[in-house]
Amino acid sequence: MEARNKLGRILLVEDDPKDVELTLTALEEYNLANEVIVVRDGEEALEYLYSRGKFKTRSSDNPSVMLLDLKLPKVDGLEVLKQIKSEEKLRMVPVVVLTSSKEEKDMVASYRLGVNAYVVKPVDFHEFVNAIKELGIFWAVINQPPPGSVRK
Amino acid sequence: MVPITGAKGRSEEIMARPKLQLRIAQSPVLRYCLAVLCVSVALGGALLIESLQLHNITLFLFAIAVAAWYGGTGAAVLALLLSCICFAHFFVEPSHSIPYFILLALFAWLVSWFSSVRRRVEAELLAERTQQVSLLNLTHDSLFVRNMDFIITYWNLGAQELYGWTPEDAFGKNSNQLLQTVFPAPLEDIHAELLRAGRWEGELKRTTARGTTVVVAARYALRRDEQARPVAILETSNDITQRKRREEEIQRLNQELAKGSMELEAINKELEAFAYSVSHDLRAPLRHVAGFTELLQKRVSSVVDEKSNRYLAMILDSAKRMGNLIDDLLAFSRIGRAETQKTLFSLTQLVREAVAEVRQDAEGRNIAWKVGALPDFYGDRSMLRLVLINLISNAVKFTRTRAQAEIEIGCADGNSDDLVVFVRDNGVGFDMKYVNKLFGVFQRLHDSDAFEGTGIGLATAQRIIHRHGGKIWAEGVVDGGATFYFSTPIPRGHLWKPGTN
Repeated sequence: MEARNKLGRILLVEDDPKDVELTLTALEEYNLANEVIVVRDGEEALEYLYSRGKFKTRSSDNPSVMLLDLKLPKVDGLEVLKQIKSEEKLRMVPVVVLTSSKEEKDMVASYRLGVNAYVVKPVDFHEFVNAIKELGIFWAVINQPPPGSVRK
Repeated sequence: MVPITGAKGRSEEIMARPKLQLRIAQSPVLRYCLAVLCVSVALGGALLIESLQLHNITLFLFAIAVAAWYGGTGAAVLALLLSCICFAHFFVEPSHSIPYFILLALFAWLVSWFSSVRRRVEAELLAERTQQVSLLNLTHDSLFVRNMDFIITYWNLGAQELYGWTPEDAFGKNSNQLLQTVFPAPLEDIHAELLRAGRWEGELKRTTARGTTVVVAARYALRRDEQARPVAILETSNDITQRKRREEEIQRLNQELAKGSMELEAINKELEAFAYSVSHDLRAPLRHVAGFTELLQKRVSSVVDEKSNRYLAMILDSAKRMGNLIDDLLAFSRIGRAETQKTLFSLTQLVREAVAEVRQDAEGRNIAWKVGALPDFYGDRSMLRLVLINLISNAVKFTRTRAQAEIEIGCADGNSDDLVVFVRDNGVGFDMKYVNKLFGVFQRLHDSDAFEGTGIGLATAQRIIHRHGGKIWAEGVVDGGATFYFSTPIPRGHLWKPGTN
C-alpha cells in the first residue's frame, strides 16, 4: 500500500486499556497502526519525548502526531501539553487532544497552550472509528510533519 | 451668693463663674437691721473718736454707704435718719446740724444711686446669662462640662434627656462613672490628644439612668484658663444608637450576603467539578460498552441467531441514548453556570433563524407557519435562540400526526412590564393535569416510541427564562394543541417596538 509506506509514527497517550484497544482497533481497521507507541500516563509521555528512562534508547526522531488524553495519572494531559509546547525541540510535534470531555474550559486551556486539534471521543463506535480514522489519515498521512519526524 | 433652687439656678451659678457677687440682702428685716447695725457701729466709733477730741462725720458717711450698698434704698433712708439723729444728739448743736444733714442726705442719695445702677447692670447681665443657658437647653445635643477630674459642673437639658440623669443627679459626679463610659481607645491616649489638639471626637458607649446602653458621637473641647492651664472639658454628644444599630444590621446583612455568595460559589465549583467528572468519567465506560458491543456484533452477527443480534442492537441503542442523556444533562448544567451576555436584538430575526433551523428536520412536512409582529428583545441571544429552537421543534414534533400542521409564533398582550411571547401548535397537546411535569428534567408526557427526545428541552428553556428573570408556562388540551408562553421583564426605558413581520 502506498500510503502505508509513508505512515508516520503515532504516540498515543492513554491510560485506559479499553480506550487503547478501541483506538488501536479503529486505527487497524484502516491500516494506520503500523507504528503506534502507547504510553499510559503523562510522565511516560514526557519520558518518551525527552528520550529518558525506558525510552533512552529510542530512535531520535519525533512522532508525526501525538494523540493525548487529558485525564491522565501522574502528569495530566494539559501539563504534558504545556511542557512540550514550551520546549523548543518539541514544540513542533503536532498534538491532538483526544478526550471524553466536552468541557469548554479544557478546550480553551488546550488551545491557549497551542494544541493543534481538539477531538471529543464520540460515544457511538461508528463515529469514534470515523474520527480516529480521519485523524490518523490526516496526521499520519496527509499532513506534512515538521522536520525531525521520520516517515516510514 | 443667694441660692436659687432648681436646676436653672444651679446652672446659672456655674455659668457665672462664681466670683464674689455683692447682692442686695433679700429680707427687709435684715436690711433694716443692717442699717441700724452700721449706724450703731459708726456712732460707737464716732463717740470713741469724740472722746479723743476728734470731730468726725466720716464714720457716719461710711455707715450710710454700707447700708445703702448692701441694704438698698430703705436701709439707706433709715441709716440716714439714724445718723442725723445721732449726729444732732451727740455731736453738734441742733441749730448747726442742717448742713451736716444735707451732706449726709446727698451722700446717701449718691450711694443709693450708684448701688441701683450697679444692680440694674447686674440684673441685665444675669438675664443675658439666663438666656444663654436656656438657649443651651434648647439644643437637641447633649451638652455638659466637667473639670479635668471628670467631675460634672454643667449639664444641659439635652444631656438630661439623653442620659436620664437630672442636673442634681449629675453635678459633682464623675462623668465616666455616672455614665459607665466605654471609650474606643485608652483614656490616656484620648487625654493626650485632647491636650495636644484642644479637641477630640469619637464614639462612646454609655449607660443611661434607665439602664439602657446608648452609643453617642461625642466631641470634646478643652477649656483653658488665662495661664493656658486646662481647666474644663466641654462635651457635646448625639445619640447615634439607632444609626449604629442600622449600620451594624447592614454590616451583618452584608456579611451574610458575602457568606451566602461564597457558599454559592463553592456549590457552583462543586457542580462544575461534578459536571466535569460526569463528562469525563461517565462517558468513557459508555463508549467502551458501545465500542466493544459493536466489535462483538461485527464478529458474531453472522453466526448468532436473530434474537442475539436484536439484543446487541438494543445494547447499542441504549448506550447511544445514554450518551445523549449525558450530553443534554451537561448542556443543561452548563446553561445554569454560564454567564448571560445580554444585548438588544431583533426577536423577529431570531425567530426566523430558529424556524429555518428546525425546518431542516421537518422536510416533507406540511406546516403552515405564522409569525406575528415581535419586538426587540434584551437578553442573551444564544440562550434565547435555544429556547425558541426547543419550543419550535417541540411544536414541529408534536404536530407530526397532523396532515396540516399549524404553528404560530407571536407576541401576546401582556402588561406594560413584561413581554410575553408564545408558540402555539395544533398538535397532540397534553392533559393540563400534568402541566407541572412539563418543565422537569427528563420528564416526558409521551412515550419515546411515539415522540423521541430526552425530556430536557423544556427544562433548559425554563432555566434560561428564569435566568432572564422571566416565567414560562403552557396551556394544552389533549389532542387539541398546545401553547407555550414565556415572559421576560421589559427593561426600564425600553419601548415596545414591533419588528418587521
